[in-house]
Amino acid sequence: MTASAAESLALLPPGLILILGALVLPFLRGRVQAALTLLLPLVSFAHLSLLSDGSTTNLEALGASLTVVRVDRLSLIFGIVFHIAAVLSALYALHVRDTTQHVSAMVYVGSAVGAVFAGDLVTLFIYWELTAVSSVFLIWASRSECATRAGLRYLVIQVGSGVLLLAGVVLHYRATGSLEFTRLIGEDGSLATAGPGVLLILAAFGIKCAFPLMHNWLQDAYPKATVTGTVFLSAFTTKLAVYTLVRGFPGTEALIGIGVVMTLFPIFFAVIENDLRKVLAYSLNNQLGFMVVGVGVGTELALNGAVAHAFVHIIYKGLLFMSMGAVLYRTQTSKASELGGLYRSMPLTAACCVVGAMSISAFPLFSGFVAKSLTLSAVAEGHHVWVWLGLLAASAGVMEHSGIKIPFFSFFGHDSGIRCKEAPVHMLLAMGIAAFLCIAIGCYPTPLYTLLPFEVDYAPYADLGHCLTQLQLLLFAALAFGFLMRTRLYPPEVPSVNLDSDWIYRRWLPRIVRAVGGVGAEASAALGALAGRWLALALRGVHLLHGPRGVLARTWSTGGIALWAILCLFGYLLLAFTR
Amino acid sequence: MNEGAKRGMFEEPRNVDRLFWGLAAVCGALVVLELIVGRHAEFPFEGWPGFYGVFGFAVFVTVVLIGKRLRRFLRREEDYYDR
Amino acid sequence: MDAQLPALQIVIPLLAAPLCVALRASRAAWLIAVTACWSSLAVAISLLRRVLAEGEAISYHVGGHAPPHGIELRVDALNAFVLVIVTGISAVVVSASRASLSEELPEKRHYLYFAATLLCMTGLLGMTVTGDAFNVFVFLEISSLSAYSLISMGRTRRALTAAYQYLVMGTLGGTFILLGIGLLYMATGSLNMADLAERLCGMESNRTVQAALAFIVLGASIKLALFPLHIWLPNAYAFAPAMVTAFLAATATKVAFYVLVRFLFGVFGTDFAFDAMHLDRVLMPLALLAMFSASTVAIFQRDLRRMLAFSSVAQIGYMVLGLSFASELGLAGGIVHLFNHAVIKSCLFLVMAAIAIGVGSTNIEDLRGIGRRMPLTMAAFVVGGLSLIGVPLTVGFVSKWILVRAALEAGLWPVAAMILASSLLAVVYVWRVVEVAWFQAPAEDAGALRRPPLGLVLSAWVLAAAALVFGVFTDATASVATRAARMLMEAGS
Repeated sequence: MTASAAESLALLPPGLILILGALVLPFLRGRVQAALTLLLPLVSFAHLSLLSDGSTTNLEALGASLTVVRVDRLSLIFGIVFHIAAVLSALYALHVRDTTQHVSAMVYVGSAVGAVFAGDLVTLFIYWELTAVSSVFLIWASRSECATRAGLRYLVIQVGSGVLLLAGVVLHYRATGSLEFTRLIGEDGSLATAGPGVLLILAAFGIKCAFPLMHNWLQDAYPKATVTGTVFLSAFTTKLAVYTLVRGFPGTEALIGIGVVMTLFPIFFAVIENDLRKVLAYSLNNQLGFMVVGVGVGTELALNGAVAHAFVHIIYKGLLFMSMGAVLYRTQTSKASELGGLYRSMPLTAACCVVGAMSISAFPLFSGFVAKSLTLSAVAEGHHVWVWLGLLAASAGVMEHSGIKIPFFSFFGHDSGIRCKEAPVHMLLAMGIAAFLCIAIGCYPTPLYTLLPFEVDYAPYADLGHCLTQLQLLLFAALAFGFLMRTRLYPPEVPSVNLDSDWIYRRWLPRIVRAVGGVGAEASAALGALAGRWLALALRGVHLLHGPRGVLARTWSTGGIALWAILCLFGYLLLAFTR
Repeated sequence: MNEGAKRGMFEEPRNVDRLFWGLAAVCGALVVLELIVGRHAEFPFEGWPGFYGVFGFAVFVTVVLIGKRLRRFLRREEDYYDR
Repeated sequence: MDAQLPALQIVIPLLAAPLCVALRASRAAWLIAVTACWSSLAVAISLLRRVLAEGEAISYHVGGHAPPHGIELRVDALNAFVLVIVTGISAVVVSASRASLSEELPEKRHYLYFAATLLCMTGLLGMTVTGDAFNVFVFLEISSLSAYSLISMGRTRRALTAAYQYLVMGTLGGTFILLGIGLLYMATGSLNMADLAERLCGMESNRTVQAALAFIVLGASIKLALFPLHIWLPNAYAFAPAMVTAFLAATATKVAFYVLVRFLFGVFGTDFAFDAMHLDRVLMPLALLAMFSASTVAIFQRDLRRMLAFSSVAQIGYMVLGLSFASELGLAGGIVHLFNHAVIKSCLFLVMAAIAIGVGSTNIEDLRGIGRRMPLTMAAFVVGGLSLIGVPLTVGFVSKWILVRAALEAGLWPVAAMILASSLLAVVYVWRVVEVAWFQAPAEDAGALRRPPLGLVLSAWVLAAAALVFGVFTDATASVATRAARMLMEAGS
């Protein structure tokens, strides 16, 4: 009896507990609600342990066989880390008394988990859109005008990615007759031979993965979400995209180039960005680049590297966002120009932040090191010299924006005079656990390595020289920071907005539209008026026919109706006989 | 340098000096250590002693200086998009 | 007993109707109607199960006279499915109706409503279950006459005009069908559908048969409110008592659609109707026009009832579109949409009935802020609305997905795109209501709300839940529809 109960429980799609649980949340209030939000991921985590590698759940639907659940090593490791992130984020959000945030966070997490276990493209699409729609409420929950607008832009881009995915899936299905979500790119890893469906799917994944020029939704929206919302957001959307790339596009050569660009360009933006949460968003973008390179190289070692990097990244990036969130929560600002010297007031938060910073910079004995080394070794093994150099440069760049800038300008540096309370206990607890995981994985990576999709034959600490060179890279970079500060070459933090690709759709396009409108009104007034008149006429025509008093909407006289029906009959008969 | 700051008052110039030169000393020690321990290199240039250190230093400075230049083109007032 | 099931399907409501009249008391009549509806549902379900298990049609000879001369009741996967839909919706609506009926009808006339509903149901079930062409006409008249009287029970005087127009149009439709059947009889000398199908083979160039097709298609089009012959429908739905609308919207047009499918695929056959007569060239443009035009009209409507009524016309377009592909997949899409739309629309009309009681108006402007004041009711509306749009995980998605696939299979890319585009129109008219109900503050002078009867809200939720359940477990409906479609395509070609 119990065995069969466990079996039938194991058939439940992962993530469903979270989504269904989220539907209960609106009926609860206050503490109970927040506590259930913490309990849900724990229960779902326990359910995850019932899943066995290799099992699938099929559903006959829509005339096709859908694999709603497919458990393999790749989906399991993402499932595990998504749950870790969900538990930590929920713990961090324990003080939140906002039904919208709790519900959307749980639906968001649940759909991300569901997506990772989706065995076919249709199921993936459904979860894909669900993550987009549910997560936007975490941004809107800031309840400010600018968050509302940023959320709308975010939603349009995310849903657009889903539409591309759906179009790609349809084309792919027409071309191959298969809906299975498996390797989509050909054995040669070339995009030139890939079908249009596959390219569309890659574009959809690329948007969610913040490929260069498709990236700006991330830096635009994440800093505008709520304190806790950003912590949730940072873990799932982009890493779900990394997962889909690992699954569908391993060894796609174009991804190497894309990845390198991704690791490099955000560094420059991060240097001059003033909002520290936005710096973290740029840093997130740069880290994704490492994973994309790993996917592009496509060897077992490289894919392991990408997955391991995603795993540890979720934890330390969450930790960094948590620490900046705590600062924002206590001081009401996350701008570098207004912060500094907070280590007096928030020593524990500062310590956790430093652990996160050292992890992301990949100091030996911290979690970033054991993951990034895999990718770098794979790149070196493949003899991609320039790629390797690019990643090395990016590593030094990470040290700049995340390793130094984040902790330095908030907790150290020039004293802003702000004195506040230390972060609340539950936040400290969440950060403490995350920091502990960063160090534990860094010191003892074996458990992580055994979870990876392929066998790992790599010991990061066996090669002492490697640890040494890494330390050299990072400490010399730190030295350079000291040098620049002492020579006053380091740019001061000033309040500003820096232009990025979002300028295209926030300024340039509106300007073009306005300009065109202006041209229409002034230079070629006649043409403009004509176009306007045509449009107005067309609209009036539609309204005339369809409006409340339109011929199609109003009540006809009985005789009219009967006459009409008989006319239709004659018309039809005429058509039939004169054929 | 940040990790040292927890211990002492970061603002005091004497401590800052100490930190900086201490860091420089550690860096020097790392290069020496590298010569003693020895390591294998995948690419020939990578084997040069102190390569990583110089590379890290150079990249860092370059990134910051380029970033500074970029600011001239990219910087706008905070309410730029709201206007 | 099992062997008598097809006959029982008609006999139960037929006998229950006079019983209601005899008893007169509102509660007693309601109890009888409810019992009759639920037992009809049980009969329909057991018929469906038997058909699916046995894999072939059940033939019942009325009075023991064998077809083609005797009257045959013939149940296969297709009409068993329609039977379940009609009886299922009737059961839910009739169960909910007593509480809401008191608003619109004096209690001493309730028995008339129940009797007419049962009679209408008898007619609809008879049209569905019979294998005899002439019987279709007879049952059609039974259902139509009772439907006229049901509509005329509406509160306002305009209900009378609406019923009168429906009467005129319904009679026209019925007459066309009768003429068509008469022409068929002239050409073949038979009235049994299966027999007709055999005899019609090779008569493609016969003018009489061609005219018969024209009459029957047109008659059925009027009854199912295919654009541009839908003009009777909005008023009939808008001025009938709310429960009548919920009942008719989900059953009457659906059975008419079934009749069209049965005649085209089961009697005339695809070779004749589509390959020789190119009916798809007439039906497909009309279906597309319906999808766009009626949805646009719905956008501009100020009254929730008329908006939903025009939305029905648009949804009928989807069904006819599926049929006009003349492919197994398209037909399956049409049949699934028949099921889905029956569930969705009766759910929405039940919600509308609850709103009418709660607010005292169905004017969209008067619904400001009622989302917060009637959350349960309006949540059901949201579920129904999402299904209407075709959001994934609701039933609406299932049928649209199949229809899109069918369009792609036929190589009709623009049609697939138009299916998606017309869904956007549905987004607009559903969103209009959602926005008013959930995001606008209640009007200052808004009167007190009356609590809608619990039974009504519960029934709406039963259907909303069905919309979700069948949206997730899509196989239940899709596989039956696919089987029915395959059977028709194999028989018809």
